[in-house]
Amino acid sequence: MRRRRTPTAMDGSILDSLGQEIVGVMSPVSICMLLVVLLVSCLSPLPSSIDSPSSTPVTAATLVYLESPSDPPAKKLAGALLNAAVFVVLVAAVTFLLVILYYYNFTGFLKAYMRFSAFFVLASMGGSILFSLFRRFSLSLDAPSAILLLLNFSVIGVLSIFSPAVPIVVRQSYMVALAIIVAAWFTKLPEWTTWTLLLALAAYDLAAVLCPRGPLRILVDLASSRDEELPALVYEARPTASNHSVSSSPFPAASVELQPQYPVNLNPNANPNSEPSPNSSSNDSSPGPNQADDSVVEIESLAEETLPLVPAATSITQLGSTHGDPISSVEQDDIFETSRGIRLGLGDFVFYSVLVGRAAMFDLMTVYACYLAIISGLGCTLILLSICRHALPALPISITLGVVFYFLTRLVMEPFVVGASTSLIMF
Amino acid sequence: MTVAAGLGYALIALGPALSIFVSVIAKKPFLVLTLLSSTLFWLVSLILLSGAWRAFLPIKSSALWAYVIVIVTSVSFQEGVRLVFWKLYKKLEEMLNAFADRKSKPRLFLTDKMQIGLAGGLGHGVAHAVFFCLSLLTPAFGGATYYVERCSHMPFFLISAIISLAFLLIHTFSMVIAFNGYAESRKSDQFFVPVIHMVAAIMTLINLAPGGCAIGVPLLCISAALTLQYCWKMVCRRLRDNSDGR
Repeated sequence: MRRRRTPTAMDGSILDSLGQEIVGVMSPVSICMLLVVLLVSCLSPLPSSIDSPSSTPVTAATLVYLESPSDPPAKKLAGALLNAAVFVVLVAAVTFLLVILYYYNFTGFLKAYMRFSAFFVLASMGGSILFSLFRRFSLSLDAPSAILLLLNFSVIGVLSIFSPAVPIVVRQSYMVALAIIVAAWFTKLPEWTTWTLLLALAAYDLAAVLCPRGPLRILVDLASSRDEELPALVYEARPTASNHSVSSSPFPAASVELQPQYPVNLNPNANPNSEPSPNSSSNDSSPGPNQADDSVVEIESLAEETLPLVPAATSITQLGSTHGDPISSVEQDDIFETSRGIRLGLGDFVFYSVLVGRAAMFDLMTVYACYLAIISGLGCTLILLSICRHALPALPISITLGVVFYFLTRLVMEPFVVGASTSLIMF
Repeated sequence: MTVAAGLGYALIALGPALSIFVSVIAKKPFLVLTLLSSTLFWLVSLILLSGAWRAFLPIKSSALWAYVIVIVTSVSFQEGVRLVFWKLYKKLEEMLNAFADRKSKPRLFLTDKMQIGLAGGLGHGVAHAVFFCLSLLTPAFGGATYYVERCSHMPFFLISAIISLAFLLIHTFSMVIAFNGYAESRKSDQFFVPVIHMVAAIMTLINLAPGGCAIGVPLLCISAALTLQYCWKMVCRRLRDNSDGR
């Protein structure tokens, strides 16, 4: 009926393609959060086994203060604030180091470091999560095939991170996998520390991206002035459709969320402090390697934290020139695509998922509320991006909304809704 | 409740929503965004409502009048929220039409508007089902199930899943009806929506009586079916008018 009425319509209504860019970013974030929630609810310890306080890993985020459930709230709050401050300072230091390295053109070293850390995350942290899943569901797999599979999985992941030859779907899935693994480790932090850390990181993100001398801003400006890819783990939304839709897109400028990776050297420094702590009594069968993992996790998490959302202004001009000539744009597809899609730093994925995963330890209701809050925050950020067209931090709005909704849901809504629905009163 | 039973209950409550989502909503990114924002809208309205009622909790299950007040205020508030949602949608429609003109594409079709209404309604319905049914399901996995004293024929989760299904249908399709009613300014459509919502909500009060759910739940399902039927007739009529008019 409607086709008949508009014979001039080229391809149906404007609804068909509108909003593709936004959904292209939201769906991987949603998948990542969903998987983290599933993982957390599968792996969260049974209530009877919580009694061992040593199950909390010692990481860079818990250097100063290790929360124990019996502490009074004031002490917990002070300790958590200290932890968050130390963590943010570490992240800032690492980011500055990255910027300096990048400024003096150590790009090769940065990429090698990022490949190494991706391998480390996939193989050791991913492996340990895999093993705990096996334990949880009482599956069995012989050691040689497990190692073979894990190595293959990790190597493909490492190859896919910077190589343009790998299909973009593979790269995107590995980015999501990395985010899931790191986020699953972060959910092991104690509760108060998690909340203060998330808020502190959101504030740090805001400063690092928007301040004129913020490290992430410098990094993004440098990368766009050199016309290079960002030396960081960044999720690229699938390039949508073809050139002719460029002008119709509400996001002519590519937005980039950056996330810097921290240097390896940080590990030795951070670890010695955390190692002596009594967590060797943790119930893991291999305490030695695990502790090493913890510190790496922290470091990894540092990298994840820097997440500015950056639209590269230069990409607009690039687009304009390539757009004019469809044939030449074919050979330049890589540049074209990479400068076009919205890019989101992996750190954003991680901390969104950490928030949702932490909410999953309370109830599904809070998970759902937090998910909606984060997604709408992300939507607001993307809309802002299309207006102001330079790199924006993706954490502040989403995390703030997420935290606010978590506590509102937990404190206000939960009793009301549960009370009504258990008496079968609904409206 | 075993995992299989839990999945079954969840599918009873959310199965139709899932199929609408896959067959209509997921194909158009804009509808997905509409769905998400409408879900957020409903969540905010629920938080505001529970914030207002938080001080009076817990309500004694014998105090019928308290529940009546809760239901009447909540339904009126939600209908007010629907009006706000409609106003926002109106602005959005203008923006979309202006955008389409700029792109020299056709303006929104009638079916597009109805799909936006459907997505908005589905958002309300899904939010309802998730918060009232699904969120109680997930913590309950394990070896036992739960029966409410006043309704001992069926497990509590099955009843709440069926009620959620009925409300999901009512929310989803009454949004389509309401949007069309506002657009055409037909008074009968505009009144049908709050009335059916209020009637359905009041029918859940029957569940407070011992054994009342054997009556209340079927009545609720009937009112959901009534909404579906009304929506079907209205959409058929509008489509016919629309194609005749051209």
